[in-house]
Amino acid sequence: MKKSIDEASDLQAISRRRDVRRKTLPALAQAGPVSVWMILFVTIPMLFIIYISFMSRGVFGDVVYEFSLESYQTLLDATYFKVILKSLQVAVFTTVLCLALGYPFAYYIARKPPETASKLIMLIMIPFWTNSLMRLNSWLLLFQTSGPINSFLQWSGITDGPITFIYTDALVVLGMITNMLPFAVLPLYSTIEKLQKSLLEASSDLGATPVQTFLKVTLPLTFPGIFSAIILVFIPSLGIYTVSDVLGGGKVLYIGNIIKNQFGSIRNWPLGAALSVLLLVITGLLIFIYTRFAKLEDMEVV
Amino acid sequence: MANLTKIQRRKKALSILGNFYSIIIYAVLYIPVVVMMIFSFNNQRYNYYWNGFTTQWYGKLLSNNALIGSLWYSLIIAVLATVISVLIGTLGALGLKRFEFRGKKLINNMLYIPIIVPEIVLAVALLIIFMNIGFALGMGSILIGHCTFCIPYAVVTIKGRISGDGDSLEEASMDLGANRIQTFFRVTLPSIMPGVMSAAFLSFTLSIDDVVMSNLLAGAKNSTLPVLILSMNKTGITPDVNALTTIMILVIVAGMVLSNLVTGRLKKKAPK
Amino acid sequence: MKRFLTGVLALAMVLSLAACGGQSGSGGSDSSGGGSSGGSSDDGAASTELNIYMWQQYISDQLIADFESENNCKVNLSYMSDNADAITRLTAGGGQEYDLIMTCDAYMESLVAGDYVQKLNLDNIPNAAANINEAYWTAKDYCIPYLMNYIYVVYNTETCPIEITCYNDLLDPSLKGQISTIDGARNLFPIALIALGYDPNSTEESEIAAAYEWLVKFNENVVAYGNAEQNLTNGTASVALTFDGNASWAMSEMGESNPLVVAPFTDDAVQLGFDLYVIPQGAAHVDLAEKFLNYICDPQVMAANLEEYPYSCPNDAAVAAASEAYQNDPARDFNYKENVFFQEDVGDALIIYNDYYQKLKVGE
Repeated sequence: MKKSIDEASDLQAISRRRDVRRKTLPALAQAGPVSVWMILFVTIPMLFIIYISFMSRGVFGDVVYEFSLESYQTLLDATYFKVILKSLQVAVFTTVLCLALGYPFAYYIARKPPETASKLIMLIMIPFWTNSLMRLNSWLLLFQTSGPINSFLQWSGITDGPITFIYTDALVVLGMITNMLPFAVLPLYSTIEKLQKSLLEASSDLGATPVQTFLKVTLPLTFPGIFSAIILVFIPSLGIYTVSDVLGGGKVLYIGNIIKNQFGSIRNWPLGAALSVLLLVITGLLIFIYTRFAKLEDMEVV
Repeated sequence: MANLTKIQRRKKALSILGNFYSIIIYAVLYIPVVVMMIFSFNNQRYNYYWNGFTTQWYGKLLSNNALIGSLWYSLIIAVLATVISVLIGTLGALGLKRFEFRGKKLINNMLYIPIIVPEIVLAVALLIIFMNIGFALGMGSILIGHCTFCIPYAVVTIKGRISGDGDSLEEASMDLGANRIQTFFRVTLPSIMPGVMSAAFLSFTLSIDDVVMSNLLAGAKNSTLPVLILSMNKTGITPDVNALTTIMILVIVAGMVLSNLVTGRLKKKAPK
Repeated sequence: MKRFLTGVLALAMVLSLAACGGQSGSGGSDSSGGGSSGGSSDDGAASTELNIYMWQQYISDQLIADFESENNCKVNLSYMSDNADAITRLTAGGGQEYDLIMTCDAYMESLVAGDYVQKLNLDNIPNAAANINEAYWTAKDYCIPYLMNYIYVVYNTETCPIEITCYNDLLDPSLKGQISTIDGARNLFPIALIALGYDPNSTEESEIAAAYEWLVKFNENVVAYGNAEQNLTNGTASVALTFDGNASWAMSEMGESNPLVVAPFTDDAVQLGFDLYVIPQGAAHVDLAEKFLNYICDPQVMAANLEEYPYSCPNDAAVAAASEAYQNDPARDFNYKENVFFQEDVGDALIIYNDYYQKLKVGE
């Protein structure tokens, strides 16, 4: 018995070695373009950003090309800690809500026949082909003091005076969800759709309740999709600022605002670069911890 | 027997609940769009509040060549960016999932960077590099910018769809005499199609609504629609932009209905 | 090692991009024909193309069309969404794609110091010298002021609980959640500095810190940063700290029974800023750019432009030639035109301002 396993693994090893040779060309053809693209347009620019982060700002906002740790020292200021904490809060909140709302939705779509499902998916995407700034503005128009919602509430006698909906946190949350939801639904849909119906039926045939089936079968099997959804929602939410600028009245700064300002009006590129590096490190760490915690062997499980 | 009807009843209740739930979600996603469409009939210079009905903005739209031109420009860029990103992304996802090679980890990690880093950072870095090597700004530079953040999204979405068992199917297909390209189109692609479709939707969506890259990497002659709209934001967005959006949405809906009818007709003719 | 690696990578990128560039060029991409091949002013032939980067909805289409037919040329307008856009274009790159870029007076000192803009040949722009009020003309050799704006307080007499006559009135507790204000460190801090009796362009950290304390109180009354017109007209805000141009639009939007008035300040100075045109280094069509600058400084041309875009204008002759409606605009009905201050380049102190600005918005 033992021997046969050894033999089998020997055979596997041989076939793997043969595979490697046979697969060099296709590997190059498949992974080549993406690798080249990433090196040219991500690695090189990022090396440049890291390089700049060790420079300092000139009096007129130019970059002084002399080594300096000034920007990183600035980051020790408590303000940046608070900003990052706040941005993390919003991102976590948005991610949790989008997952909670998106999962059943994705499930619903995935259970439909493929043709209907692809139409339903398309229906989710269509609103996002319109301008995001205008979509956010629509919420303002709808909820503002003299807007239709307030007029209706007063006309119907539910409230006496106008209610302040706009420039509140609640509206920001609504805006975040409507902006980020498809990024949760798409990856969830594509993994749930992959689930084999027979597995679920088997589970229920074996006497599992729907809740058990969901927790023991569906959820673990769709874990890669959940992981993708978290990455696609959490990380962009961390840097997003337009939603709170428009719907929150621009009263709060997030890390995205601060980086934008450093590259824009303040023109302190080294600090902006250092902040970006910090953001990279934090997100990298979070993903690392997350993959360990979730017992995923590598980030590439996505 | 009674048990079965119980299950059926539960299934029915669940499906009603599911319908109800998804209608709410769709409503929340579509409310802003509907408001936008309604306000294309607003009789006001900028959309500040509802000020009476007019159709004048549709007339004004027709003479606003800059606005219509920018929509075409955006669409062309979005389509090209989608095609390039999905092509590179599909191949890349397969390659990164199936093959081991040196530097794979680096590439995998690099894919996260455009998602993590605020767009402005990459945009500024790309801008400076383009300027230093004398690469003219224009559609080419915008496309490079868009693809740079679309490709990672495409790879992530498609990778989630590729499973190990696809391998055996492919082996089987090749054992049966199909070559690599046939196998790719007959076996691999169909099995990852939902992922590819999602990636295409995502890429298109990201590209068509992008402002940061399109703003910084644009040449002097053309700007995309989102950049034009953002530049209006200082004073206010004129309702002719709403009119444009309304027409765009109606065209899309009409297209969907039409394709539905056509595919329905074809199915009837050739039942499987 | 790292440097070597960077070098190699950069080389790889240059080569591949050069390849891409070649392809897109021969492929007939629409962006070719700019830069190098465009008519330069040296060879004597007049340019036929003018690329301008400026604010959207800020210049009359008719004016552009007339200029095009007069000079037999094509004007390409592209628009910015933030002053920072223009500065990034000028300093980081992409500026040479344009012949005229709009920026504002606060940035002029560093733009000149950094050699990012061309010195103007004022002999070719006689209208500017003749018509633009000397007192308003900053960095005279490098830019042409186009329009200008005051940042002042405007309020709704029906809904605002108090009468506002100075910046300190904005701290009144009864205004809680009532103010819609402009944003940005360099727009907000001067207001606080003046309220406290300091130099609005102070570089003293202690004074900026005091201004920060003032703004913390002010912040409690703010309902939103930005969107003043919308918030005033739809009733969200009863007070706005905004540009006179926005106030003017808001007032005309309110119609006959306009309840909005400009706060009658007595002592406090008001910020005056200019939107101006510069010619970036490396611009390809300087001759046409100069013609354009001279054209818009023509009083008649500018007066017609003001009918469509009734902003404050530094061209006195044009203002005199403008219609009565323009001259009687309630948004410019204030008596402190002389009591103004300008935003100056504060150099390294900008970092201090920004630190406190971030603190203000991040909160305790």
